[in-house]
Amino acid sequence: MRVPALIALVLGSFPSLGLAATDKPPLLTGESLPRLPQRLVEMALEALKAPDWLVSLASFATAAGTVVAVFLSAFALLSLIERKTLARAQNRLGPNRAGIFGILQPVADGIKMLTKEDIVPTKAEWFLHLVAPVMIVIPSILALGVIPYGREWLPVPLELGLVFFFATGTMTEVAVFIAGWASGSKFPMLGAMRAISQMISYELPLIISALSVVMLSGTLSLADIVAAQSGYHLGFIPAWNILTPWGFVAGIIFLIAANAESNRCPFDLPEGESEIVAGHMTEYSGFKYALFFMGEYLGLFAISGLGITLFLGGWQAPLPGLGFVPSWFWFFGKLAAIIFFFLWVRTTFPRVRVDQLMRFAWLCLIPIALLTLPVAALWHFTANPDGSNGVLSWLLCSAILAVPFIIITVIFNRRLAPSLRTYHYAE
Amino acid sequence: MVPLLLLSPLILLAALGAVWKARPVHAALLLALALALVAVLYLSVGAEFIGLVQFMVYVGGVAILIVFALLITRPGDEAAEVARRPRSLALGLVCVAPVLGILLYAVSKGLPVAAFEDANPKLPVQALGTELFENAVPAVLTVGVLLTAVLIGAALFAREPGPKSELPADR
Amino acid sequence: MNPLPLLLTLSSLLFALGLLAVLTRRNAILILVGIELMLNAANINFIAFWRYGSVEFDLTGPLFVMFSIAIAAAEAAVGLAIILMVFRHTRSTDLNRLDSLHG
Repeated sequence: MRVPALIALVLGSFPSLGLAATDKPPLLTGESLPRLPQRLVEMALEALKAPDWLVSLASFATAAGTVVAVFLSAFALLSLIERKTLARAQNRLGPNRAGIFGILQPVADGIKMLTKEDIVPTKAEWFLHLVAPVMIVIPSILALGVIPYGREWLPVPLELGLVFFFATGTMTEVAVFIAGWASGSKFPMLGAMRAISQMISYELPLIISALSVVMLSGTLSLADIVAAQSGYHLGFIPAWNILTPWGFVAGIIFLIAANAESNRCPFDLPEGESEIVAGHMTEYSGFKYALFFMGEYLGLFAISGLGITLFLGGWQAPLPGLGFVPSWFWFFGKLAAIIFFFLWVRTTFPRVRVDQLMRFAWLCLIPIALLTLPVAALWHFTANPDGSNGVLSWLLCSAILAVPFIIITVIFNRRLAPSLRTYHYAE
Repeated sequence: MVPLLLLSPLILLAALGAVWKARPVHAALLLALALALVAVLYLSVGAEFIGLVQFMVYVGGVAILIVFALLITRPGDEAAEVARRPRSLALGLVCVAPVLGILLYAVSKGLPVAAFEDANPKLPVQALGTELFENAVPAVLTVGVLLTAVLIGAALFAREPGPKSELPADR
Repeated sequence: MNPLPLLLTLSSLLFALGLLAVLTRRNAILILVGIELMLNAANINFIAFWRYGSVEFDLTGPLFVMFSIAIAAAEAAVGLAIILMVFRHTRSTDLNRLDSLHG
């Protein structure tokens, strides 16, 4: 796997980045288990008297490799679970031939993808056609590198983690465009145009809703944002951002925008198979096609992980007194819950139309997301000296958010939302 | 120093491609590459925040906008572009050469009296934010007004004229 | 050795390339490409003088670059919107053909 070396190369250009973690946690506790490979590599190289730069580079590569390995297996697992869940919702059985309960289905899929013929259309530009799938996967993996998974487990402690995350996300747009354009055919082009306009529109609410968290945490470092959500109100209510009026609204906006960013149903117009075959992936086959799927799912993990970090308290336990459970367990528990929610949404909602998609982003999500910023400021300034907020502050903040929301949704519903469709059947 | 020596020729090559390529989309993609490499250059000299912002705005915003505009409009005849290139390039070089000469002469004249090799090794983001929102507030507000005006103005300009709703009626 | 001259040379060459694009291209959108290159050349100078220049503990360079980036984005958006409008009228983005005010 050449990917970790690539990450090391890209991230190595950050001068502030200490490549090796300086702290030395005990080897075999539940908390530091995910860092065991990294520590073993470090110890082995130190025992061999390797030079310092080699130790730190190898340690960094192992840390990155751990994350990539974990999420690639999660991707394989999710591809099965998704099909099983969809099948359950549609009253089918789903894959059940390969292994018990179809557990070997991802392996079978992988072998199938790898052994398929790699077709490059004659009208395609072969170089850009080759570059696009790689460019889709890289930003997702880079973004996965900056998320704090546990108290001891943060692969790349970046001071500007959040900005880095969004900066890598923009690379996906270029990759999607290249994929659509280089294929030299019309469905990929249409799919790429749809995908880019959707990504640009939904990036705004995504970033704005994350801004309110940055404002109140006073930091761009994801580890510090998680640390700012520690503690419990009244002894048992976790101090997560989602449990405040502004955080609740921003969190829901983030969830919707994240769903649209990762091109999932009901926002899967860029690859709506009944309309434009497979969008920008139409002309891809074999392993390149698999890379697109990998990039999409890794991006889904990354953006869900960011949502958990910003709003759901990251790796913090939901109740006090659960300190004996490793913190990364909570992170992955929340991740599983969010992903399941996305699956549920996918099975429930029909695909929206292009104009509905754009109106929803620009006329509903962005205004409300902008509103969360002043409300977050109000929340900060009406707080008691000890940092908690009184009943009055709660009521005021909720009202300021609720009234425009009701007005917008009423207007939205009356003027813009679709009523029952009239179907026109072919004669 | 080493990253700079590696990056500079790459940036120049990508920019040269953006200027040279006859195919408009290739030129735009090479522009995106050049701007992304400039972002990496910022990262490597310690201005990480600026580098990431540059990446976000230029690669994710400006380059995508340019590519989009290229797709919506019909680019001119590529063959004609290539055919008239020698003449226009010669004329262009005649105009550019003095400018470049003056710039390079100024650079070769030497550094400011006291140029530190490490004047500011790292960009403190917190300080930058404080500076922006304490001392540069009028400028920030002006830029905010400008961007809002641009958002509305560009939307008005680019709107399809004619009947208001070409979209399928909802009811 | 101070890398300042290297960065200044880089930005001069980038500026020249951008100017060349503005002067030789006929497609209005590709002229915008040249303008973006020139703006970036200026930004590199700001960062170079901030990083290797003569004033320590100073933020003017990065501040200027922040504003410059914001304004470049605005300029690209408005410029492209205008080009789109021109294209709707004339079905072309070739600047040599926009000569109806020629007299």
